[in-house]
Amino acid sequence: MSAPGKPRSLTLRILRSAPGAHVEPQWQDFAVEEAEGMTLFIALNEIRQNLDPSLQFDFVCRAGICGSCGMLIDGRPGLACRTLTKDHGATITLAPLPVFELIGDLSVNTGKWMRGTAERLETWIHRQQAPALTAVEAPMEPELAEAIYELDRCIECGCCVAGCGTLRMREDFVGAVGLNKIARFRLDPRDERSDEDFYNLIGDDTGVFGCMSLLGCHDVCPKGLPLQTQIAFLRRKMAVVGFK
Amino acid sequence: MKVAKRTFDAVIVGAGGAGLRAALQLSEAGLKTAVLTKVFPTRSHTVAAQGGVAASLGNSTEDNWHWHMYDTVKGSDWLGDQDAIEFMVKKANEVVVELEHYGMPFDRTDNGKIYQRPFGGHSQNYGQTPVSRSCAAADRTGHAMLHALYQRNVRANTQFFVEWMAMDLIRNADGDVLGVTAMEMETGEVSIFHAKATIFATGGAGRIYYSSTNAFINTGDGVGMAARAGIPLEDMEFWQFHPTGVAGAGVLITEGVRGEGGILRNAAGERFMERYAPNLKDLASRDIVSRSMVTEINEGRGCGTEKDHVLLDITHLSPETIMKRLPGIREIAIQFAGVDPIKAPIPVVPTCHYQMGGIPTNYKGQVIVPKDGNPNVPVAGFYAAGECACASVHGANRLGTNSLLDLLVFGKSAGETVVADFQSGQLTLKPLPDDAADVSLARIARLETQTNGVEVNDVRLDMQRVMQKHAGVFRFADMLKEGVTKILEVAERAKHTQIKDKSKVWNTARTEALELDNLIEVAKATMISAEARKESRGAHVRDDAIDCAETPNGRDDKNWLKHTLWYSEGNRLDYKPVNLQPMSADVEPIALAKRTY
Ligand SMILES: Cc1cc2nc3c(=O)[nH]c(=O)nc-3n(C[C@H](O)[C@H](O)[C@H](O)COP(=O)(O)OP(=O)(O)OC[C@H]3O[C@@H](n4cnc5c(N)ncnc54)[C@H](O)[C@@H]3O)c2cc1C
Ligand code: SF4
Ligand code: SF4
Ligand code: FES
Repeated sequence: MSAPGKPRSLTLRILRSAPGAHVEPQWQDFAVEEAEGMTLFIALNEIRQNLDPSLQFDFVCRAGICGSCGMLIDGRPGLACRTLTKDHGATITLAPLPVFELIGDLSVNTGKWMRGTAERLETWIHRQQAPALTAVEAPMEPELAEAIYELDRCIECGCCVAGCGTLRMREDFVGAVGLNKIARFRLDPRDERSDEDFYNLIGDDTGVFGCMSLLGCHDVCPKGLPLQTQIAFLRRKMAVVGFK
Repeated sequence: MKVAKRTFDAVIVGAGGAGLRAALQLSEAGLKTAVLTKVFPTRSHTVAAQGGVAASLGNSTEDNWHWHMYDTVKGSDWLGDQDAIEFMVKKANEVVVELEHYGMPFDRTDNGKIYQRPFGGHSQNYGQTPVSRSCAAADRTGHAMLHALYQRNVRANTQFFVEWMAMDLIRNADGDVLGVTAMEMETGEVSIFHAKATIFATGGAGRIYYSSTNAFINTGDGVGMAARAGIPLEDMEFWQFHPTGVAGAGVLITEGVRGEGGILRNAAGERFMERYAPNLKDLASRDIVSRSMVTEINEGRGCGTEKDHVLLDITHLSPETIMKRLPGIREIAIQFAGVDPIKAPIPVVPTCHYQMGGIPTNYKGQVIVPKDGNPNVPVAGFYAAGECACASVHGANRLGTNSLLDLLVFGKSAGETVVADFQSGQLTLKPLPDDAADVSLARIARLETQTNGVEVNDVRLDMQRVMQKHAGVFRFADMLKEGVTKILEVAERAKHTQIKDKSKVWNTARTEALELDNLIEVAKATMISAEARKESRGAHVRDDAIDCAETPNGRDDKNWLKHTLWYSEGNRLDYKPVNLQPMSADVEPIALAKRTY
């Protein structure tokens, strides 16, 4: 950390691109004076306000909960709003997350990808019959509820997708975010799908058997989801179904 | 200029909690529905809600809707409409259990029921002791709720128009609403969304203040669009300042922290809320706690070198409780305040948080306006729900967790009303006027041609400073007067905003300029309504209102027990009566009383 009263001057080296415009992406440097507690989100806003109104990046909540602001920070996927500049060197490189459709500069279309995955994996509670509305909640063990909640914390930021080696090679892989969702619904007693049903969704190379367990996903998840154990567990369960 | 036109049974503007809940009702009923949103649905600001959603399930402590109703009416300082409040608290259990059926991962009690925690202003037995009424998924309730609602909408195949910004409301000569114009943010093209029903669920406008817990996209678009189209705005002088925004950063620390046992302390380490609210103490309602904090700071008992904040202390809670019940809060405190709350207290200040007023609606979600002597006539084809609407259940001060409840109850109710009106054939597609898109096109054209104008950022900052200084936690008669003059000046300048970036594609500057038009409507409504209300009530507290037997806490029921209606045209003010009559005979009206906690 720099001494108080002597702010560092930072260089944000940003990969600029505009897909429609048919120009090659290029790096552009922006100088920003570091402030106390500065996050990349604050720095990027300063650039847009003072230096270049055309710079594109996404954010909503500024508190790590909406999942909008994923980008490659010094080459590693992370959330801009949760990244303090003081934890980085004086030059910080920023690039858009790979895999996703590029909108421009640091902005990518994670939403479209996530909706596609949601439709494909049917990530909602499946029930034959809707319970009557007057009924009270079905009881659930607090430990189970906590385990479901733990996996439900995913903010669909796409960092795991961007960090995944398989996904860079095959676009149709559901990614750690997809596998985690299946693990979440599989745990949930309110979802009546069987392991056979889940096998039909992820029991091949686009699903749990496509994963090479390199764990790029696990290391970069900003919410610290237990992706490693979940994927391993799911693979064992699905392998059992496969042998039947 | 030719403008593309799309036709739907219904168009919903907004995909936060309220918009998604309404959309679900429509999609499942088979209506052809378009949901417009500035951001991908699960990025909407509801995702940031932390503490919980209110329902008198009574899972942890005895509870019933009568107590919830009493607390809500009292919390509103009697400005809430008792019919809408009765409707909301009675529906609470149903909408929460429904959400549980959708897969919402609530925390559970040892016997497997939904976990509930205490929250400010919620009590047992008509104000006696705190009650556990807030249903929570740790401290990320909004996230869990928004994702559960979204998943259910994917199942129902709801059609979203993501990154489409609604610009203006379309009305015909009779005043009926026929849809909206909207700009595709990618291309900058304007289209018409023509529909039989239009539902606004655009959220709040906390960005009119300099320091706010709200996201940058909370620019009051729905409220601004309605105002420009001649719909009055109700009770806009009432803004909630949340007691515990992180000092300096504005990011929220949920009241659930105090629900779990957190204590506010001044520089002497004193638990000062004991002096201001002997019964509920740190869990008194938000307006009271915020004012007590500002009083402590003003009287020199603030903390830090500038003595400009107080401390929120949870160091006496076990690390396990903090990790399990408040993990997100710990993250936020570490990042934004640089303290680990397990070891040290968090510096906090009251921060603008919630808009109590909005587009006037009834409990069915219909937008209502005065017409021919009747103050509450529905506008054909127009509905609203959530923070942009004023039902009015929050009156002069909202209780924590009642907003997420409001989204669920009135989102659903607005959806049900539209479905019923649609199925009965009452909703028809009325012909569009020829000039339906002219206003929007002119706004875009002005931005394209404006020269020698003013910067959007400068105007917005001036607006925020004026609001912060002249219409904050405490209000002063002369400051409000001056504030009106100043905000009208700012509004004048906002007509000449200029953007440097004139490109069509993904032009953030243009979006921000259009948003500013909406913020300005909200700011004017707030300042002018506040200047006019010569009493203290709930979140609106003036220096010249006197606390005496006639006017308890400065509240003047004889002259001011009424809703404000502000019209953008000519900044005209009108008033309408508060509905003090509950909906059914199940409950007596809650009689007026002095508010103490
Ligand atoms: C930090 C924080 C914590 C909170 N915690 C709680 C809590 O614990 N309990 C509680 O009850 N309340 C809480 N609240 C309040 C509550 O979260 C909000 O009042 C509520 O979420 C608002 O929901 P909404 O659906 O009305 O709007 P939002 O969720 O804000 O959604 C607005 C939607 O409208 C869209 N939109 C806006 N303008 C346009 C336009 N022009 N064109 C197209 N789309 C548009 C946006 O894209 C978005 O989808 C909290 C608020 C904050 C800020
Ligand atoms: S699993 Fe983690 S990294 Fe992947 S989308 Fe969810 S929160 Fe982001
Ligand atoms: S472990 Fe699997 S999902 Fe995770 S990064 Fe590697 S291949 Fe991708
Ligand atoms: S802005 Fe919401 S996660 Fe970063």
